[in-house]
Amino acid sequence: MNVMGIIFANDATLGELTDKRTMASLPFGGRYRQVDFALSNLSSAGVRHVGIITRHSYQSLMNHIGSGEEWGLEMEEGGMEFLTPYAMSTKDSYRGKLESLYTAWDFLEYGPEDEYVIMIDSAVLSNIDLNKVLAAHIESGKDITVVAKAGIANGSKQLDLALKLDDKGGIADIAVDYVAPADYLASMDIFVLSKRFLMEQVKEHISHNLYHMDRDLVLGLWQKGAIGINVFEFEGVAMFNESIEEYFRNSLSLIKKDVRKDLFGRNHPVFTKVRDRVPTYYGEDCEIEDCIIADGCMLEGEAENCLLFRQVTLEKGAEIEDCIIMNDSVIGEGAELKYVILDKNVTITPGTKIIGTKSSPVIIKRGETV
Amino acid sequence: MYFQKKRCIAMLLAGGQGSRLKVLTEKTAKPAVPFGGKYRIIDFPLSNCVNSGIDTVGILTQYQPLELNEYIGNGQPWGLNKTRSCAQVLPPYERHDKKSGWYKGTANAIYQNIDFIERFDPDYVVILSGDHIYKMDYAAMVEYHEKHEASCTIAVRNVPLAEASRFGILNTNPDNSIYEFEEKPKKPKSTNASMGIYVFNWKVLREALIADEDDASSSNDFGKNIIPNLLNAGHKMMAYNFDGYWKDVGTIDSLWEANMELLGKDPEFNIRGDERSKIYARNSALPSSYIDEDAKTVNCFIAEGSEVYGTVRHSVISTGCTIGEDALVEDSVVMPGVVIEPGAIVRHAILGENSKVCRNAVVGGAFEADEKKNISVTSKGAVVEANTVLLPGEML
Repeated sequence: MNVMGIIFANDATLGELTDKRTMASLPFGGRYRQVDFALSNLSSAGVRHVGIITRHSYQSLMNHIGSGEEWGLEMEEGGMEFLTPYAMSTKDSYRGKLESLYTAWDFLEYGPEDEYVIMIDSAVLSNIDLNKVLAAHIESGKDITVVAKAGIANGSKQLDLALKLDDKGGIADIAVDYVAPADYLASMDIFVLSKRFLMEQVKEHISHNLYHMDRDLVLGLWQKGAIGINVFEFEGVAMFNESIEEYFRNSLSLIKKDVRKDLFGRNHPVFTKVRDRVPTYYGEDCEIEDCIIADGCMLEGEAENCLLFRQVTLEKGAEIEDCIIMNDSVIGEGAELKYVILDKNVTITPGTKIIGTKSSPVIIKRGETV
Repeated sequence: MYFQKKRCIAMLLAGGQGSRLKVLTEKTAKPAVPFGGKYRIIDFPLSNCVNSGIDTVGILTQYQPLELNEYIGNGQPWGLNKTRSCAQVLPPYERHDKKSGWYKGTANAIYQNIDFIERFDPDYVVILSGDHIYKMDYAAMVEYHEKHEASCTIAVRNVPLAEASRFGILNTNPDNSIYEFEEKPKKPKSTNASMGIYVFNWKVLREALIADEDDASSSNDFGKNIIPNLLNAGHKMMAYNFDGYWKDVGTIDSLWEANMELLGKDPEFNIRGDERSKIYARNSALPSSYIDEDAKTVNCFIAEGSEVYGTVRHSVISTGCTIGEDALVEDSVVMPGVVIEPGAIVRHAILGENSKVCRNAVVGGAFEADEKKNISVTSKGAVVEANTVLLPGEML
């Protein structure tokens, strides 16, 4: 089956953490960037033609993905392409997914003979078997399949695209940018549709100055009765990292075994850029409890309920609890951190004390010394 | 294919069995034996090549090559898969002139691959082996070789006099030129031991290999034949002193020791390094490791993809291992994919890849500081059944 993947790098919604990066290049889980999940899901499903649509701050993303080699996407035919704005001498950057697809028209039109397109975002993380989704889409005979997750809507979180099913599995309601009650499913921003249908719709929408995937294509056409929508309810772990609070909570939930096993399923490994760090060294007096720890760290202090990225130094007498510490940060002797996110390369000088809260952890920006 | 003239290429002898590693090399060639949590022995010479700017490496394989070949693949982890670089696995092959068959010795292995070397028309060829753990800048050695206009330069290190008779010993003049080579002498005249790392002028080596092949009495070995022959023929040969960490990991004891020497805040061998001395390895795509709230991790290396629920002291835990609740691992080397079930005790052991120590089993024992430590070893995939004992020094 010839399938093309389109990954949306997504604009930033995580404040200081995404000042200079896309949601796709946001570090996650000790050794990953968020986009690794979308790339690995496509790669595991045998998709060998992937476009990455990105609008702002994509330097770190390009650096991370390179030629796509780590995901097996370094191909002569197909392979991986960055689809950046202005690439086709259009005057403007794009406003929504449909418009971005229009600016990447050549990628759609002149690529290999792909029959289906899987569109996937990089702010919702999962380890999903996309072949199952594709098979379900084909079997349904519908125009588009939306992958959705129960249990995310809670009456306070605003969903990009919310769907409510009726008793027979049909669609009772669709809403966009909606603070949905708990009986709605949240779209995981994964769509499967035929390339021909997508191209027709992109043209049609752009001609009518419509550019929004969720609002115009899904909701708009559904309201007109002009589209058949299949909903694929995903049972596994789906992490919606759309706010700092969610990112913080989801990151630390990797400490739970069932979450970890689900997200890093052995049959569908999550690939990332290799960094070749040495194994982590645990010192004579370190006390590490309930932590996720990447390679290359030097640990001599105490950590509880933390997530440590590569090459973190935790000096003697330093105490950290409920923290996310990104690559190459150093926590000096006797420092104390609780509910803190350190971006890459942060230095915490000895004896410093920083305490945040669960719902709003303190963020120290990349490269800073405190 | 595109071939470019190279100033220097490397030939890595990786065909040996490593029989003194016993069960660990039953199904794996020695260079593919895991080391240091996420590496294999061959990562050290290969990474040294890359860090020394040598981008063309021929790897001679013979004994149990499946895993080694798989591991090397196209050389991608070491950046040796580019337009102008290569990591070429060179197994023995059949030739028209019957001068083929298994590699008869180290020199014969290179002889059979003269065609490979000729493609790059190199000035110098570095001969390496896949038996040692060390970091070395081969480029500095080649510079030294060139500066002294030698035909051959041999890396040497000082060894204790008592051990000198185990090595090839080089006797040198005050200017470090070699006047005599003695293979494992009973009464060594010096303590300059050959490290088995040679730089040759390719033209000289090529002739020597062809002459050696024509000599029916030769054992086709660098140490026994090529080096003495060149010396007798009056070639200028230099000793190149190296005093960094260098460890032969050819025995169970030395493999265990070398792993232990990675530990400590200021370890004997610091595997960490800057971008120029980094050791590269093939990556296993495993998530970060997890340390449970009841786990104890003291003075140890734990690589990614491991889950620790028990106690680990003074040990190296490799990628993808599980250490169960109330299990104890002490003074041990745990190779990739090992499962140690709850309540098991492992001391002074090397646990081979994917082996398993079941519930409440006991492997190895404790020793006094001055006592000889008998290391217990499990082979790849071995299972120590629940509630059983693998005694100190025993192998499974």
